[in-house]
Amino acid sequence: MAETRLKQLGGIVARQGILIAFALFLVGFAVFSESFSSTENLTSVVRQSAIIGVMAIGVTVVVISGNLDLSVGSMLSFATVMVVDLHDKIGPGPAMLVMLVAVLCLGCLNGFLVGMLRLNSLIVTLGMLSAIQGLTLIYSGGQNVDIADQEGTWFALFGRGEILGIAAPIVMFAVLAVVMQVVMSSTAYGRRVYAVGGNPTASVFSGIRRSRVVFSTYVISAFCVGLAAIILGSRVMGSQNNVGQGYELLVLAGVILGGTSLLGGSGTILKTVIGVLILGFIQNGLLLLGFAYYVQWLVTWVVIILAVWLDVAAKRGRLFSPIA
Amino acid sequence: MTSKLKAIIAGTTAVAALSLAGAAAAQEYKIGITQNNVGVDSYQTTYEQAFISAAEANENVEAVVLDAGGDVARQIAQIQDLIQQNVDAIIIWPTNGQAVVPAVRQAKNAGIPVIVTNSNIAEEGFDFIASFSGPNNIQQGASSAELMCEALDGSGNIVQISGQPGYTTAIERQKGFEDRLAEACPDVTIMETQPGDWNREKSQRVMEAFLVKYDNIDGVYAGDDNMGVGALNAAKAAGREGIAFIGATNFAVGYEAMGRGEYYGSIYQSPVDDAEAALQTAIDVLDGKDVPFLNYFETPKITQENMGEFSKPVF
Repeated sequence: MAETRLKQLGGIVARQGILIAFALFLVGFAVFSESFSSTENLTSVVRQSAIIGVMAIGVTVVVISGNLDLSVGSMLSFATVMVVDLHDKIGPGPAMLVMLVAVLCLGCLNGFLVGMLRLNSLIVTLGMLSAIQGLTLIYSGGQNVDIADQEGTWFALFGRGEILGIAAPIVMFAVLAVVMQVVMSSTAYGRRVYAVGGNPTASVFSGIRRSRVVFSTYVISAFCVGLAAIILGSRVMGSQNNVGQGYELLVLAGVILGGTSLLGGSGTILKTVIGVLILGFIQNGLLLLGFAYYVQWLVTWVVIILAVWLDVAAKRGRLFSPIA
Repeated sequence: MTSKLKAIIAGTTAVAALSLAGAAAAQEYKIGITQNNVGVDSYQTTYEQAFISAAEANENVEAVVLDAGGDVARQIAQIQDLIQQNVDAIIIWPTNGQAVVPAVRQAKNAGIPVIVTNSNIAEEGFDFIASFSGPNNIQQGASSAELMCEALDGSGNIVQISGQPGYTTAIERQKGFEDRLAEACPDVTIMETQPGDWNREKSQRVMEAFLVKYDNIDGVYAGDDNMGVGALNAAKAAGREGIAFIGATNFAVGYEAMGRGEYYGSIYQSPVDDAEAALQTAIDVLDGKDVPFLNYFETPKITQENMGEFSKPVF
């Protein structure tokens, strides 16, 4: 009797391990750092997480369909450089429109290569990671771009402004998360994405056009990158050519922390939101505690690897692999 | 008789050879350069453009311009290629100060003088290079410290946002700043230092955390203006005023913020001066002139007061 109860408890710990670890971290940071739990700081972390979060929502859809998207980091650089550069040339509205069209084209290219040609997504998007970085440098000639009139432009709304008293990046992140959660959980499209990722063969036999579904996930991912670029460009009011470098790993880390399986077929948008917030709070907490940067790297990645382990262990029902 | 004749022949050949060499020298130096990572930032991009136009403007110079794309292995291969091409001098902007030393040694052994530009190579390579041409980053850090003392009237609390960890420029500026600050105004305390990785968005994030953590920040020192402006963005968004921002490598955005009085000061470092100094150092070495081993070019302090003397940076 007691044993079963213990087992049940173990099951709960394993299943909700990431949330429990998150709670422990939050309590730990709040105890050791006075400023951590201030409203100002909590808002600031959520606002900072919005850029990674918006991208992670798109990547979650790609991962649920059983693929990867590593090109989002350099796509973010490309989109941010483009929107900032065009802002002064053709105005904020057209700049955002042209940039969105451009990243959607990149998303279509990813989708065509992975969905239609059935190429391995890891290789395709790893290639696109470098290719798009090259494209960015060709576009800008390597120069930094800046917005001249930072105070006067309404473009400032997206990264610096407020909507109904809440920081705009948070609002955009939340709205996108809710919309995509509904799309994924309550529409035929969402079910197709899960089906394609969960069992590609069966999905094809059930009449799902797998290529189109995979194609569409990359277009969604690219759209999310476009939104993230608007937030980032507006927040910084300028861009370097490598501004998104390394973001692909942070985004993927957020997705994994949320418990989305890299094998496809499982995961939810809301869990990714939690994963991204965990990442944001860990990095912020370590910074507030005054840890050196190398400790921050170490702890962040140890947490991510532990999270993956717990996730796998929960699915297996035991901590170690039954096959040695 | 025969021996005399031989001597005469030898003598004339030597003179002919000398004059030929002299003529060749006046005509053309073939100078190869392998750069660190063109296109990764505006500084390096402008540097390359300036180098190419300086080389084109000088009719005695034929330049072979290469870029390692941030890859040490590629840079080593490029140095070896330049040795094979038998260039007269090699200029190198090291991707990694340590890893390029063996290749630099090969060049020296092949009789080709090597000039290091912008960031120096590791000390064990000093025997193999003719000269280093570039900014004095320790001095720049020290100058920034003096600006900070001036801005805070000798006392206050500051935070520091450093460059990419492990990057020589970042390490030297931080050291120069900290050493000089302790000396010039010991009452200014550095509360914390975190890296901003030369990235404006990253340093904006770091500054946001600093602003939450400390309510008594009087000044910010950033390893370059790009990061300094990120910190300024954060402070403006939080509505915190009265903070003195001091950077280095004056960027256009920093120059403009200085004009508006939001940014206290910086160090003016021109990639054009950097590139031209490197080429001139190489030419001087080949002309056999006496070139100092550490050939620094001028990087003066810039504040709102004297900014009219400098043109706005192109990056």
